[in-house]
Amino acid sequence: MSHLLNNKELKELGKIYDWVSMCTHCGNCKYGYEYGSNSNFAAMLCVQGDKFNFDSYRGSRGKVSLARSLLHNRIGWSDKVAHVLFTCTSCGACQQMCETDIKPWILRMFEALRYEAWKQNVAIPENIKAWSSTIGTLYNPYKEPHEKRLDWLPSDVRSSLPRKAEYIYFAGCTASYRRKQLARATVSLLQKLKVDFTVVEDEWCCASPLLRTGQYDLAAKFVEHNKTLPEKYGASAFITTCAGCYRTLGRDYMMDAPEGYADKYGKMTGVKVLHTTHLIEEMLNKGEIEFTGSFNKKVTYHDPCHLGRHAEVYETPRNVLKAVPGLELVEMYRNKKFSFCCGAGGGVRGGFADYSLETAGKRVKEAEATGAELVTSACPFCYTNLADAIELSKSPLKMEDIVEIIEPIVRKK
Amino acid sequence: MARGNNEILATLEQIVGPEYVSNEEADLQPYTWDMTWAEPRMPDYVVMPKTVTEIQRVLRLANHRKIPVVPYCNGTNIGGLCVPEEGGIIMDLKKMDRILKIDPETCYAVIEPGVSHAAFSAALKATNPQWKGEEFSKGFEFGWGVHPASASVLAMAINHGIGHLNGRIGVNSQLLSSMEVVLPTGEVAKIGSCAYSDSWHSFLPLPRMDGLFTGWLGTTGIVTKLGVWIFPIRPYRDVLSVAAASAEDITKYMVRWRHYSLCDEVTAVSWWLAQIPITFPYSPKPADEPEFFSYTVISGWSEEELAYKRKIWEEVVAKEKAKGTKLIDFEYPPEAKRGRTELPSRIVGSTKNYSKSCGGGIAWPGTFAPCKSWPILYEKWKEIYIRHGLSPATRFTDYQGAHYGMLRCMTPFNKRDPASVQAARDAMVECVRAGLPEGMLPYKPPVEYQNELNAVADAGYMYLMAKIKDMLDPNNIMNPGKLGIR
Repeated sequence: MSHLLNNKELKELGKIYDWVSMCTHCGNCKYGYEYGSNSNFAAMLCVQGDKFNFDSYRGSRGKVSLARSLLHNRIGWSDKVAHVLFTCTSCGACQQMCETDIKPWILRMFEALRYEAWKQNVAIPENIKAWSSTIGTLYNPYKEPHEKRLDWLPSDVRSSLPRKAEYIYFAGCTASYRRKQLARATVSLLQKLKVDFTVVEDEWCCASPLLRTGQYDLAAKFVEHNKTLPEKYGASAFITTCAGCYRTLGRDYMMDAPEGYADKYGKMTGVKVLHTTHLIEEMLNKGEIEFTGSFNKKVTYHDPCHLGRHAEVYETPRNVLKAVPGLELVEMYRNKKFSFCCGAGGGVRGGFADYSLETAGKRVKEAEATGAELVTSACPFCYTNLADAIELSKSPLKMEDIVEIIEPIVRKK
Repeated sequence: MARGNNEILATLEQIVGPEYVSNEEADLQPYTWDMTWAEPRMPDYVVMPKTVTEIQRVLRLANHRKIPVVPYCNGTNIGGLCVPEEGGIIMDLKKMDRILKIDPETCYAVIEPGVSHAAFSAALKATNPQWKGEEFSKGFEFGWGVHPASASVLAMAINHGIGHLNGRIGVNSQLLSSMEVVLPTGEVAKIGSCAYSDSWHSFLPLPRMDGLFTGWLGTTGIVTKLGVWIFPIRPYRDVLSVAAASAEDITKYMVRWRHYSLCDEVTAVSWWLAQIPITFPYSPKPADEPEFFSYTVISGWSEEELAYKRKIWEEVVAKEKAKGTKLIDFEYPPEAKRGRTELPSRIVGSTKNYSKSCGGGIAWPGTFAPCKSWPILYEKWKEIYIRHGLSPATRFTDYQGAHYGMLRCMTPFNKRDPASVQAARDAMVECVRAGLPEGMLPYKPPVEYQNELNAVADAGYMYLMAKIKDMLDPNNIMNPGKLGIR
């Protein structure tokens, strides 16, 4: 049986056909495992496969097979194809397990498939279509007015911030419109730590939701716009509390394919991108932070996929948490590279809210099993989904971002 | 696009629930192909039963309507065994993934078809054997072959899959102890000790009816529960290695070493299989490199036991060298050694060696053969492979007691190139044809190999096989086409 590129119309997919064809169909991607003298891990990691069962939904093998079937003209586009494509949270667990040459291209392939789906007459989730129809003018996927983007910021704080600074705090859409307390806590933290930063009124969506859902054309102007901000505000770095923004600014804007989109949008250079936890860890290591109180709770940390598997930042947030007096950090069984997605990513929270929350509910149960009182994370989007699942399931757990834990009990030495 | 018949779809939905049935091409397409050259075949439905009763009901429906049924767990066999030759129902058994029992005293476990090697190994490793209240080992193990961790333990075992304990205890199908099976006509039967009590420890001393369902490639029924023997993990392990100038030299050493029955495994790989990735297309071996590299895994309950085995092995190597066998000392790569001494590990379950930049295709002439025929067949296969532009990436592995062993040739090929696919298929079929007179038998055979087998088989054997198949599966619904007899 030959895998022939018969369908020449699927240009984005066709461009990476050489890589798509490297999948051996072995199925390593369908399950998480690691053994050795010091490890004994085995668990289902694929959120989508866990819910929708069939091999079409399990790991990257099902989607590679779908891509091949479409490229070979063996099947046609359908609403079911769209369902398979848009119920994947792009968590990267399958990519983590893959051992063949397609590995680095897996997430790019998912996005290319979605790009092709937009051009077909198939059932793209209505909510994704809805926010996509306004994001080009509102610059956020929450259909909120752009003028209100900085409403989270108290006016006195706003007026006290410099126009130009070393860092731009890039709050992101979720913190700006839906989790405003996280943005406020971050600003307060940065002030306490005497960081030279500013907040900018012309911050646009980082384009993560657009790229993850395959909307390459629409994403272009967002990338172009945000890339100009450092120079405009004299900054040398973006700092963000959002794992999605971190991944997008730090990888999609700056790296060659397949890790990033420099092939489409050029490369952002001369700028650093830090997650808030990077900054805190660095200052802790330099002895620049003094704790003024303690946090006497048992806490478990949820790895955001965009910070963890996508960017391989696993220890930094844990190092920050371990430094907090009184805090007892306990791990869920599925953690770090073997973490289980909260269910929100890849456009799933917007496109399939019930399934997204059901997934978050599974993660909450796993967090409960650790005996923790509180689950923390480093992403407002994970925060939203997990907090909603906690509320929905009447879980005794509390949810706080790392920044919310740190901010009340630190000052700069 | 939807396939099949709405009435049958509705009945299947009644049986397993709507979310566990699909006739949409988007859901069916992953089940149309596998790693090999097998031509894609589209099934009409996929169902995911969760209980034995659901399987019974699906099979009764299929038998009544004469719809093919293909049992499927992970689809990772290298033989196109789950590609539905005649369409029909893919019965995906992944939802039946319970480990029903681990009996550390009697050293067996009972599993469902959807239990993966990853889940099984993790559970076994977490079960600490006790002897009169004293823990004597860190967990149990079962044979782990060259396959992804997501592969089904049950499917692999009933189809004569291999594992890392081959040398000590045989292939995995020799470790079965009891089974429950749903017949194509919907009846449920227990086979072995479990037919008489809830103890799943042995088929003996009963008539070996398990043979009706092992090695039949899912053509005689669906095994829904399987008892397998498990083994305490020995705390001490080592890997010893030696290379040789030829297949004949390495075989002499391997057979001699195996006669002592002291190792868990002894394997030799040709120079081409030792390359990561396998050279594709073929390129010659450097003249100063050995033709074969061999490793053997020894294990024990103490360092003294390990030292004794090491001493005997060194004597074997010395004696062979003294006889003029051209053995060459070499150090086994540390990373591979770590993988083999910390089994099961990803290194052993890896497919990366076989896929790098080749275009996604993997197949093999995977065979069981008398060990003495290895060098003869290797030379024949090597000529065939090189003629087709392929690397003779060959492996010998002894099975329990030096009676017979594995002979296979891992074959990457480029699925983007029809000529490459054809060359691989032609080479492998030719290898099978060349090997049959030497006692070689393909395992998990693709249809092409099965046809070669049937062409030279004893007529009485074929008659009996067809008669058994007809008796168990009168409407030939189970994985039709795979045995080449109906």
